[in-house]
Amino acid sequence: MGYTMTEKILARTAGLATVNAGDEVQVKPDFVLAYDFPGYTDRYFKEMESEFQVIQVKEPARFGVFIDHMIPAITPDEEQFHKETRDWATRNGVEVFERRGIGHQVAAEVGYAVPGALAVHFDPHISQLGTFGTLALGIHRNMLEAYVQDTVSLRVPESVRIDFNGQLQAGVMARDVLNYLVKTLGPSACQFCVMELAGSGLASLSVEGLQTITGLAMFTGAISAIVAPDAVRLDYARSRSRKVLEPVYSDADARYRAVHTIDLGTIEPLIVIPPSSAGTRDLTDYLGLEVHVGYLGSCASGRLEDLRIAAQILKGRTLAPGFSLYVVPTSQQIMAAAAKEGLLTTLVEAGAFISSPSCDYCYGRIGTMNAGQRAVSTGTLNVRGRMGSSDSEIYLCSAAAVAAAAIEGKVADPRHYL
Amino acid sequence: MSLVNLRGRVAYVFEEENFDIDQIVGVKNIRISDAEVLAKVAMNAYDEHFAERMRPGDLLVGAANFGYGHPHYPPMIAMRKLGITAVIAESFSPGYWWGEMAEGFAQIECPGITRLVSRWDEIEVDWKEHRVINLSRGTELIFKPFSASDLLVLEAGGLIPYLKLKRQCP
Repeated sequence: MGYTMTEKILARTAGLATVNAGDEVQVKPDFVLAYDFPGYTDRYFKEMESEFQVIQVKEPARFGVFIDHMIPAITPDEEQFHKETRDWATRNGVEVFERRGIGHQVAAEVGYAVPGALAVHFDPHISQLGTFGTLALGIHRNMLEAYVQDTVSLRVPESVRIDFNGQLQAGVMARDVLNYLVKTLGPSACQFCVMELAGSGLASLSVEGLQTITGLAMFTGAISAIVAPDAVRLDYARSRSRKVLEPVYSDADARYRAVHTIDLGTIEPLIVIPPSSAGTRDLTDYLGLEVHVGYLGSCASGRLEDLRIAAQILKGRTLAPGFSLYVVPTSQQIMAAAAKEGLLTTLVEAGAFISSPSCDYCYGRIGTMNAGQRAVSTGTLNVRGRMGSSDSEIYLCSAAAVAAAAIEGKVADPRHYL
Repeated sequence: MSLVNLRGRVAYVFEEENFDIDQIVGVKNIRISDAEVLAKVAMNAYDEHFAERMRPGDLLVGAANFGYGHPHYPPMIAMRKLGITAVIAESFSPGYWWGEMAEGFAQIECPGITRLVSRWDEIEVDWKEHRVINLSRGTELIFKPFSASDLLVLEAGGLIPYLKLKRQCP
């Protein structure tokens, strides 16, 4: 019997020859990542000392801290919070990545996306490192275990394999693919499993598109997502890897809880209606719905292909009167590349508000909506009040659909602008 | 097995599948950390008298994929403050389940639970026999057994005391 990529990575990090789904193991993560946020990092840093008398993490090179929320600080308390994070990192010899962009993207850029590695974070969107064959788990409160000792306890998850074939239609993006998985397989289809993406259709999805799909895998109930690295993704990862590991691949006779086949060519633009990420609908059923705010950014979007398609749609056009479009490139690297390509100029000329990278638009700390306002957004969530008033609404969709809606001030089909 | 059987009323049945628990306190209150304040705002959108109706030992019941979304901790900090001892659901979203189990807050997967109970029924969780018993109706269901380590976390009262024990006796 063969093994999945996930089982192989967990076997290596458990120091065992093999493990099987269902086994309870102690694994040593290659990387322990977090962004600083009240109630999370401050709590771990405090509890590791007060509860466990651990003054310093062992092997600080395994750890990384990102400062991407509350950026820029708008109160002295927020800046003080960041200062305490920096101080902790200095005392522990841990690297801090501040104002470089949204941490889950920056983590890939700075070499934590090592094929075959195990990374843990408290936030499940770290799963997007799976694009590069890294098993990246959001382990929530159990992060404390990773700060006070080498290993964390874990039950080896089953995997659900999604075989893609065909290729996407023009104007249909990776975000639509993720929404299609939620719509057709269901929001608990991969419950407690790792979603493994495979099949010939992968070749038609960009690295950035795969980051979107794997980063949002939690909305299928998955605890992470992973893709076998191909030459392009291996090249990206190896050119910056912090660690050299042999990439792993699932065996042909590995066991899966389920295998689904998806023809990418059949996917149409989708929209996710509030108040749940499970509210996936055909975008064409909502054409003409008035919207007032657009947000193109977050760890699930704001990458070059998102900015390119938005610029393509908005070039030579202007936003609907009164419409606010926030465009937030995911990282400084992406923002600089977009500037060089002239994408930011095109978006600004159309009337967009461009921001340096920050997580803060995604949860309404900036660009906050008032009661009665309705947004189209590439953010991660659409629960009531996520981007401001609890009487505002968020419709989640692709970057292309956000750009098209920005022109009309209504939900619009991006394919008409391409 | 040192867990004492739980016994109390069904304080609420969340019938919505994929329920996002952040709605319990409302996203506008999600950065509050004071349990007293959270307890006052909890469930205002569902039952404005919720807090005063609670008794220590009450339990919550949820539908399938309970905890879906990107759950935060304040809603269940509020519920524990109000005396809730466990959540029993048809199934759970993993992120939510992990986060609350680490608090030593039992999250019991019991397929069929939403049909077994109604609000205010008196129920008992029998750890040894893996049963949820509806004392008001005289019916019962088997719940999905916990793994050995999950049980140890619950017995210890959460991740921190569990890790302390484990580090003393590796």
